[in-house]
Amino acid sequence: MNYAMALDYQSCINCKACEVACKEENGVQLGADKQRIWVGMVEGSNEGKPFVNLYPSQCNHCIDAPCVSVCPTNASHYIAGGIIKVNADQCILCKGCMEACPYDARFIDDTKVAVDKCTFCEHQIAETGTTACQATCPTKVRTFGDLDDPNSDLVKLLEKRRFFFQKEEIGTLPKLFYLVPEDEAYAKQSIGPNTKIHTWDEIKPLYERAAKRRSQEWK
Amino acid sequence: MEMITFAGLDINKMSFKQMFFNRAMLLAYLLLIVGILGLYQVYDLRYFSATLTAHDAGIDPTNPALKEAMREAIFGTVGEIDRNSPWTVLISNYMFMLYTGSGIIFLVALAELLKFKVIEKLSVGFMVVGVAMVFAGLFTITTDLHVLNIPWMLITPNTEAAMWMMLPLYLVYIPFVLFEIYLLLTNNRALARKLALVIVIMSIGIDFIEYYIQASLFSMNTARHLWTQFPALTLYFIVSSFVSSLGVMGVYTYLVHRNKSEYQPLMSLIRRTMLIAIVLLGVFEVVGYMSVDKVWANMILQGPFSTLYFFGYVLLTFVLSLLLLIKPGNANRTVLASMLVIIGGFVSRLIFVYGGNAVPMSNRFGTGFEKNEVYDVAEPFIYTAPHLGELCIVIGSIGVALITYKVFDGLFSVAKLKQH
Repeated sequence: MNYAMALDYQSCINCKACEVACKEENGVQLGADKQRIWVGMVEGSNEGKPFVNLYPSQCNHCIDAPCVSVCPTNASHYIAGGIIKVNADQCILCKGCMEACPYDARFIDDTKVAVDKCTFCEHQIAETGTTACQATCPTKVRTFGDLDDPNSDLVKLLEKRRFFFQKEEIGTLPKLFYLVPEDEAYAKQSIGPNTKIHTWDEIKPLYERAAKRRSQEWK
Repeated sequence: MEMITFAGLDINKMSFKQMFFNRAMLLAYLLLIVGILGLYQVYDLRYFSATLTAHDAGIDPTNPALKEAMREAIFGTVGEIDRNSPWTVLISNYMFMLYTGSGIIFLVALAELLKFKVIEKLSVGFMVVGVAMVFAGLFTITTDLHVLNIPWMLITPNTEAAMWMMLPLYLVYIPFVLFEIYLLLTNNRALARKLALVIVIMSIGIDFIEYYIQASLFSMNTARHLWTQFPALTLYFIVSSFVSSLGVMGVYTYLVHRNKSEYQPLMSLIRRTMLIAIVLLGVFEVVGYMSVDKVWANMILQGPFSTLYFFGYVLLTFVLSLLLLIKPGNANRTVLASMLVIIGGFVSRLIFVYGGNAVPMSNRFGTGFEKNEVYDVAEPFIYTAPHLGELCIVIGSIGVALITYKVFDGLFSVAKLKQH
């Protein structure tokens, strides 16, 4: 198993239902910046026309996650399917993982006095096969699934659509696959000029090799 | 003064009142009280803030505490730590105290290896100042951690993490330095002489490892380019520490040894060494900011940190200090330069920690910095001012250093000249 998520972000309408569902499902601390998932906005203009890009984001559950390697107590650890979790009881609040995460996906949960982050709703995968954010999204932005299962909706989608990653150059092998918008103008305004575009056939061997290398730690 | 000899050590026999109620100790207690007040505020924020989750609101909606927690969640800034700027002034102070203290110990070991007689005579005092600063650094970092969970460092260690390596490091480093001090103080001179070279070489090795681990702590944060792209970070930490260590040694020498015959030669040696260290540090700064990602370099050299960088660091550590040190012969100028490099050294640690976090991580898609709400403004610069409590802890750490030094001095008269 190698859990990942594709995000068809062109469909995001910024309703924030995913943020609310996540908080409700996982008992996340209330507060403006206490979020496991969020919708980021970037404003810009193209030939004088203003635009807003909406980027639903969360932990990338990287295969080579810097947050795991810097954690002195193994509080940040991999579990089955390559999901990264934090054991709050083991967190010494050194905040090294927050500094190491290139995506700002971690925050302090003051109710537990520990670092908190997205878990891909791992407690309910077996039962529902999905996450709260995916289940609640009215425009089907998110597709959660197993990269090792060729029949999963996720893999089928990745075979059909091109995609890119956030900050790929850092080399963490993130597992949020952002689908290239079908609308050419939206793709142009929302994808950085240095971003590499991939296809599943091209990237699959790299991710399979990396997952195999890491799988011993995915308990 | 009457003495007791124990395990080869001459220990001053003094009353509890003499030991703990003198002017220096009272000043230390005052500083420590400020630190404890800071600790109270930080712990209050960390452990007793009004917080709640979505579940709390559902389980017990009539609880009056919920109202306060909800108000804080909506209108306040909940909790102690800003997610954009996790490391704060406590880390800066930890770096400053610990690196400077270790730098003093490192320099004394080097001086012993190179047979600088004037340092050898006074080495115990310097070593104790170094240890006192290390304790002050450890006091600071302890307040920053969730100490109740520290046992997990032993139960489920991640031995490859630099953060974890600090535990065995200090478990070895501090006893080792204390053993060095013991050998220097002990009457068993023969053993000290036999072991001297081995101890000095080991000391230099351990000091180097310490700085290497500290550098790893920062360079593992792949996305923070100020920390990852600064060339030869271990050496940079060593050289920059040497400058502030020499500053502390200069001030200490003035305070403790100014009426002794060794004062002038010692200050002359500190002046010359500090000159070399400052020039080396200057080269590091120039090469460093030419190598670092230009977004980070611009943030510090031309952006919001530029005033602090140039007036709080460059002016004090390089320009004024060099002007004061360049001409030999006046020890008072060296003392003044020592004070300036101490302030500059602390400022440089502030800039290093806050500068590493200054560029938001939110330019995830290469199209610009993100914001989360329609009416927000996208932040191109991150700075979270330290809480008053954190600043108080920094002040309190000076008290910890002072108490440590005075206890050692009271028991062993470490400021006295030693021949070994």
